Amino acid sequence: MKIKLIPKNEQDLSKVFIFLLPLVVVLSALLNFLKEVFRSFANVLPGNQILNYGLLDKISNQVTYNFLFSFTLVVTVVYLLSKSLGRTIIIFPIFFLTGLGVIGVEFVDVVIGFVSPNLLLDLGNSSVLLLLKTLIVGAFLGLILLNVLAKKEPSIFLSSQFLVGAVIFYLISLLVYRSDFVVMSDNFYVNAVYLSTHIYVGCSFVFLAILYFLITKGLQATLFSKTLGGISFWGYLFLLPWTGFKYFYGTTLPDWIENVSIYLSLSLIIPLLALIVNYSKTVITKENKDPIFSVLISFAFVVFGFTNVLQVISSISNVTPIVSLTNFEYSVRYGYMYSLILILIPFVYHLVPKIYGREFIYGRLETFNAYLMGMSVVLGLSLNALIGINSGFAWNAGANAGNPTIYGEGFLITWSLISTPYTFNLFLSLLFLLSTFLFTLSTLKAIIGGAVTESETVSEVSGGTYE
Amino acid sequence: MSELLAKVAEILGAPETLVQRSAEARAEASGNTVDEILQSWAGGETIAASAPEVKEEVAVVEEAPVEEVAVVEEEAPVEEVKEEVAVVEEAVEQVFEEESVELKNESSLAFITGVIGVAIFTYFFAFAIPKNQSQDLVAESLNNEIEVSQEVLKGAQVYNELNCQSCHTQNVRLLIPDSQNGKILKNRFADEAIIKNTGLLRLGPDLSTSATREPTNNKSWLSRYLKDSASVRDEIPHPNYDFLTSTDLDYLLTYLLSLGEVNE
Repeated sequence: MKIKLIPKNEQDLSKVFIFLLPLVVVLSALLNFLKEVFRSFANVLPGNQILNYGLLDKISNQVTYNFLFSFTLVVTVVYLLSKSLGRTIIIFPIFFLTGLGVIGVEFVDVVIGFVSPNLLLDLGNSSVLLLLKTLIVGAFLGLILLNVLAKKEPSIFLSSQFLVGAVIFYLISLLVYRSDFVVMSDNFYVNAVYLSTHIYVGCSFVFLAILYFLITKGLQATLFSKTLGGISFWGYLFLLPWTGFKYFYGTTLPDWIENVSIYLSLSLIIPLLALIVNYSKTVITKENKDPIFSVLISFAFVVFGFTNVLQVISSISNVTPIVSLTNFEYSVRYGYMYSLILILIPFVYHLVPKIYGREFIYGRLETFNAYLMGMSVVLGLSLNALIGINSGFAWNAGANAGNPTIYGEGFLITWSLISTPYTFNLFLSLLFLLSTFLFTLSTLKAIIGGAVTESETVSEVSGGTYE
Repeated sequence: MSELLAKVAEILGAPETLVQRSAEARAEASGNTVDEILQSWAGGETIAASAPEVKEEVAVVEEAPVEEVAVVEEEAPVEEVKEEVAVVEEAVEQVFEEESVELKNESSLAFITGVIGVAIFTYFFAFAIPKNQSQDLVAESLNNEIEVSQEVLKGAQVYNELNCQSCHTQNVRLLIPDSQNGKILKNRFADEAIIKNTGLLRLGPDLSTSATREPTNNKSWLSRYLKDSASVRDEIPHPNYDFLTSTDLDYLLTYLLSLGEVNE
């Protein structure tokens, strides 16, 4: 196994990234687990400036939603962009450095969080590091657009479309990040738009880019309809950025924006249906009969679909006031993020033979891990939704009965309803951590000890063939 | 030849001009004359490649228009892919397929413009414009600023750095929506930390009236609770902030004891 420090093309670069990706996933899962531990046992465990729930929550979010997200985005762009545009990446050295820069600045943010917790970037920040981050992501977007303009295929494959959408909204989210907080409602504006553009659009679009690649190339199936793919792309692109406001129902946000958010969230059913039909009809024609590979993709798809359903449910007029400002929203943001993490597993397994020329065999370990990870994610999302509904009900019921549990007097009632799901959540985060270790193990085992097989080479296909 | 052409066009159900063009292309590729090609089509025969082979290649192009061609593996080098596409041109049906592929040609520029358009639209209409409107609304209102001491502001910053807002909100809702209770009018140019401290997730109790209630309005109780929560209330886990300096703890206490005044 040879890994070049200075890669010459996207294939070499993918080699480095595929090796590191499982480790980044483990880091994210580890911090998430630590965060859960320090929440459930906050008054038992000895705390310090680093090991306390508040900071771990910040760092865990930074690692998961920024570092892991940017890493995944760059890996996916590096591998998929050239494949779906039918050409090698133009001005690769600059592309390589920019991609590295995107990951690098997000990583620096994580390091700062550990070294100097007070300097960890949060919303409303206008530091030099954030400016640098914005400029680098802008440059990365520019290079991607340049490649798309220079495409050699007649059509733009869906994976590329979703990747372009993800990077553009990543940039928008960074612009939102820099906004100042002047009046009370700014807190909700900035957070709602950042949440929707960065996590909802960003994570789901990278997920969908990988999904479309895996169900056609990975499963060797025939894409059912490009039109349905287009409906899901434009539908999600237009609707998702507006869906975050409804979780701040009843706050200082104006009513009109909450209502628009509710209606547009309900409309998510359209791109979701288009996606479900396209996925089901495409998967039927698959020629790759490996059951575990299909199961892994299915789990990721189910989690993504479930998350969209949660978005729609939380838009129902009777439900919105209950679930706003509760853990219910967490199940949605986790849903988008975890569907991305889940799809990374078959993606990495699929790429090991292509990039490293090593055969990947789905053994008992991989089968066990597929179900372990899938179940822990699905249960975790369900528990967060349950916590959100329970606490929302308790606060509303308390308020209606004249006993404002929301202020703390009757908080024990609320806590009795949500403490058990929280404990389960801690257990599930442990299982998730374990499954990320197993994922890393499987990947390393295949890279180091897998039987030699034919790997993929990068060649440019002349666009003239189709013209 | 025109009779033959008409016959073939009738058999294939295609315009004569298209059939003529296809036959010419085919003739050039195979080295036969146009007449021979037309005769073979009229008789339903193929000249160079066998029909099933052609069908298969067409299926490849239809199945995954971009990926299958773009992902070039060692087993299927680029030249082969080109050859496969060339074979597609061997029959009139394939010409139709080719034309349909050509019709689906997507403009990168149009796509990029569309996506950037949606992004700019979202940024301005979901964020920049309503955010500025809210600020203008507050600026035009009376009594729109808050006055807090430096100690309270420092305490708000300690609260923010400890990320207390990840569990506690400072919002009232439902019974009296925040947008009606005057809060929005009283926080113009408030310190950033004070605004951020309103929180987004209601896990623990809401603290907007913390200083007006028992026992959180008691400084010594609150101090003990923050340093060692289990010593005064162990039913609900709460982090211990015994690592805070005494100055920071004092600032934090001052801030917490001001809640109920600052935000109301």
